[in-house]
Amino acid sequence: MKRLILAGLALLMTCTLALSQEAPMQDILQDHSALITKSSRMTIAPAIAAISDSGLTQAQDVLQAWQSKDIWQRKSDGLFFRAKETAEGSYILFDFDSGETLGEADKADLKQIKPNSGVRALIGSALVTFQLQDSDPARRLAALTSIERNPSSELLAPLRASIDTETDADLKAKKRRAERLLTIAYDSDESARVAAISDMSGDLGVDLRATLNPLLETRTEVFAGEAPEGLNLARRLAPGEDISTEAAYDLLVTAGLAPARIDQAEIRATLGTHISEQEVGGVALEDLNQPEARARAYAALVAQGLAEPDPTSAEIKAHLDAHQFVEIYNEPSRPVTLAASEALEDILLNVGMNQSLDLILDGLSLASIYFLAAIGLAITFGVMGVINMAHGEFIMMGAYTGYVIQQLIPNHTASILVAIPMAFVVTFAAGVAMERLVIRWLYNRPLETLLATFGISIALQQLAKNIFGTQALPLTSPEWLDGAWVLNDVVSISYIRIAIFILAISFLAIFLFIMRRTRLGLETRAVTQNPRMAASMGINPNRVNMLTFGLGSGIAGVAGVAIGLFAKVTSELGNDYIVQSFMTVVVGGVGNIWGTLAGAAMIGFLQKGIEWFNPSNTLAAQTFMIIFIIIFIQFRPRGIIALKGRAAGD
Amino acid sequence: MKNSFLMRNPSTLIFLAALAIFTIMVTVLSEAFGLGLISTSFVKTLGKTLCLGLVAIAMDLVWGYAGILSLGHFAFFGLGGYMIGMWLMYERTRDIVISSMSDAPIPPTAEEITDAIGHQIFGVVGSSEFPLIWAFADSLVLQLVLVVLVPGVLAFVFGWLAFRSRVAGVYLSILTQAMTLALSLYLFQNDSGLRGNNGLSGLQNLPGLDAVAQDVVSIWFLWASALALGLGYLLAAWVVSGKFGSVIRGIRDDEARVRFLGYSVESYKLALFTVTACIAGIAGALYYPQAGIINPAEIAPIASIYLAVWVAIGGRGRLYGAVIGAGFVSLVSSWFTGGQAPDISLGFYTIKWVDWWLIVLGLSFVLVTLFAPKGIAGLFDLAGSRKWPNRHGADLGPDAGALREREANE
Repeated sequence: MKRLILAGLALLMTCTLALSQEAPMQDILQDHSALITKSSRMTIAPAIAAISDSGLTQAQDVLQAWQSKDIWQRKSDGLFFRAKETAEGSYILFDFDSGETLGEADKADLKQIKPNSGVRALIGSALVTFQLQDSDPARRLAALTSIERNPSSELLAPLRASIDTETDADLKAKKRRAERLLTIAYDSDESARVAAISDMSGDLGVDLRATLNPLLETRTEVFAGEAPEGLNLARRLAPGEDISTEAAYDLLVTAGLAPARIDQAEIRATLGTHISEQEVGGVALEDLNQPEARARAYAALVAQGLAEPDPTSAEIKAHLDAHQFVEIYNEPSRPVTLAASEALEDILLNVGMNQSLDLILDGLSLASIYFLAAIGLAITFGVMGVINMAHGEFIMMGAYTGYVIQQLIPNHTASILVAIPMAFVVTFAAGVAMERLVIRWLYNRPLETLLATFGISIALQQLAKNIFGTQALPLTSPEWLDGAWVLNDVVSISYIRIAIFILAISFLAIFLFIMRRTRLGLETRAVTQNPRMAASMGINPNRVNMLTFGLGSGIAGVAGVAIGLFAKVTSELGNDYIVQSFMTVVVGGVGNIWGTLAGAAMIGFLQKGIEWFNPSNTLAAQTFMIIFIIIFIQFRPRGIIALKGRAAGD
Repeated sequence: MKNSFLMRNPSTLIFLAALAIFTIMVTVLSEAFGLGLISTSFVKTLGKTLCLGLVAIAMDLVWGYAGILSLGHFAFFGLGGYMIGMWLMYERTRDIVISSMSDAPIPPTAEEITDAIGHQIFGVVGSSEFPLIWAFADSLVLQLVLVVLVPGVLAFVFGWLAFRSRVAGVYLSILTQAMTLALSLYLFQNDSGLRGNNGLSGLQNLPGLDAVAQDVVSIWFLWASALALGLGYLLAAWVVSGKFGSVIRGIRDDEARVRFLGYSVESYKLALFTVTACIAGIAGALYYPQAGIINPAEIAPIASIYLAVWVAIGGRGRLYGAVIGAGFVSLVSSWFTGGQAPDISLGFYTIKWVDWWLIVLGLSFVLVTLFAPKGIAGLFDLAGSRKWPNRHGADLGPDAGALREREANE
């Protein structure tokens, strides 16, 4: 009997094949016509499988048309077509197999196939198979990216199937990685998942952590007596130790295993509803501002049956003792959660190490910014001993010069290359003017210098506001400085910061060269040590002071261009750096460029370190840093590198 | 004794008399007690100016007499304001909470009232718990003690650390500026316990005195400020006229020499620094109830630098100079920045004083520093044709940083 039916079926198959040699896809569709027209997520799988496994080239088109609701059925003969609306109510029909147009049809003669969203999702994952093996690498990459974004269990098989045939090595590696991740999350075979987890252990990718973390998610449940066997327990919670008694009791209440506690607000509300003749439960109203009186009144209400009793602490304890609180992994498989937590531990160790590396890079970059801001001060304050409170405004002036140049020269690379010398020239001129007009009258009166330069500082700041307005202006970096140098998912540093680091190093070199190898440096050092003696040797102290001050100011201007590249240019730009700059010079040791370097490194690393402890609160980081510096000055009042002997001056 | 002190310092007597006349005149012209020629808001401005005069005296003691350019005295001023503000805000909120809860059928317990106050005050920073520093906020007496104690202790600890390690001159200035910056950054945080950048507000309302109109309250505060200024001036004048004053002037002119004479320079500096911080705290406690609001921006380092500007323009090294400087500059500043000054049209450009005042102030500050180190008070010397010591232009001290004869005519 069975054989007969099989033979009959075989005969039927050959018949249909013979019948429609030219239209294999139409046949498949006709075979599953009933499923397709009455599609539902539960039943549609065989139809989709038949289309995608058919091995026909047109399968992808059919699935795409189906997914985008472009398949229509002709009512007269039940054949399926792709249809395109040409005019209102009129559709052109395309045959799936030949791809030819079959003339127009009226809407009344057609029935649209409308798969619901569940079915469309299934079609979508079937389509992925085709996309993953598409001849165009860009489309393969797009399909892979969509898998990475919305992983699901259905995608695992097509992804695996596509790996072996992948020709592009880069894509192959990516597919492998995606396959591992999907295996961890969705494979039905436990050992395969554990193997995949141990394969990936130690990897730093955020995607891996995003895959592993859900495996280790837990929920807290409560059981009367012992917890049942067979659950993937994470741990038992002892009320009062692992979980607060309040939270534990609240869990009991939510599970309906214990009566709710009555809080003060509820007691108050209940008391308010039972007032009679200025009394509640035999307690006078005016006494109810005492907690004990309230408790008495409420107890009386409970005794009369008018209110729910508040469970006593003994009752709460009894309830808690009678139940067990456990954390259960959402993932039922024990070996998987074990492997995942081990792998995650490895990963977190690795991440921690890389984070410290990242922190060091961050600290280095902040230190180079501080160094850049302070190096001008190291000259004016450190070498000449002139307190210039307008130093921050010179930084601001440099940044605004960069902005103006960028308005004139649209090419960003060229404008930055022009802006750096221009900023130097502008602030050099400003510095020389300030030295001639104000500061030279105030040598030997450091406090007055401080105040006079402060007056200049507020005037310059307000002037910048009047000219450029109060809102922040952009100083755009050239394209080749955009982006970041990415080592892995944890460690990265933007190119601008690298550029600033290089700039800081080259400034250090320039400073050392000028001070040690040039005539100006020699004369500056001579004037600093002993102006009268230097003058008697034929050095003009006035000229040297002027040039040195100009040099320090000019360097501040160049630093301003660099700082403007990563921070917005505002009139308060200098304000943000002035205190830190002075701190850098003072902490490092006045009069020594290596000290400034050490000071910048210390402050930069310190600030990043404190921020790392409390990342949400940079204000606190700055506060603690300043307090630390004040205490540090106690122990080394002359800075990290103190000048000794005659060079120290006094 | 007192008589002879005043006889030796006629400027004190003149100052006190001028202050008394000023106070009486404002009272007579005010809306509350007299002719109503001066608006209540201007009475408050004058009262605030008196407080600024008091803190300027403190600054002058530290800077003008002892040569310590402290850029932190406005932080002590602000702390005093915060301390009194805590009490004002707590009691005021308490009154509001109690009156709103009195309609409820069940009278509130003490704990419920405290919770409601906490919720009202700290709602803006997403909290309702009272931080530890508010522990005494319900007691006026304790908060008044804190007005003096908190700035005093901070100044003592900071000064002890700084003077002990011989930090002096510009280093000390930068260090005090850093302290001020740290304090204001700390207060800007929401979890500092003082409402972050919202600060404390509604301080102009005195708890329990809702019936008294603001114009009367403003006169009360004017009297209190004038009294504080008068007493502060007397104290400062007494301090600087005695032996203590001679020593601190000596420290200003040549610290090493005073040390070699056997004086404990650090103790003198520390005592002066701490006492002036307390005076600044008192001035702040009188200022902010008149201003109505205090927030961390008031404490920012720039405020302390402005204080130095006032004293420098007024004339440091003499007490009345500091008061004149604070009063003159702050009143003129508020006149220019308040938009009352007429714009000047140059045809191609109109000078708006709101925009240009700071530039004028900054440059005039430079000019005063360069050409008139004695400030406005130097004019009194011209009028009195005072005799200056004649050392034929030599320095007063051996050090390059010592004052020149020209600057040390006190």
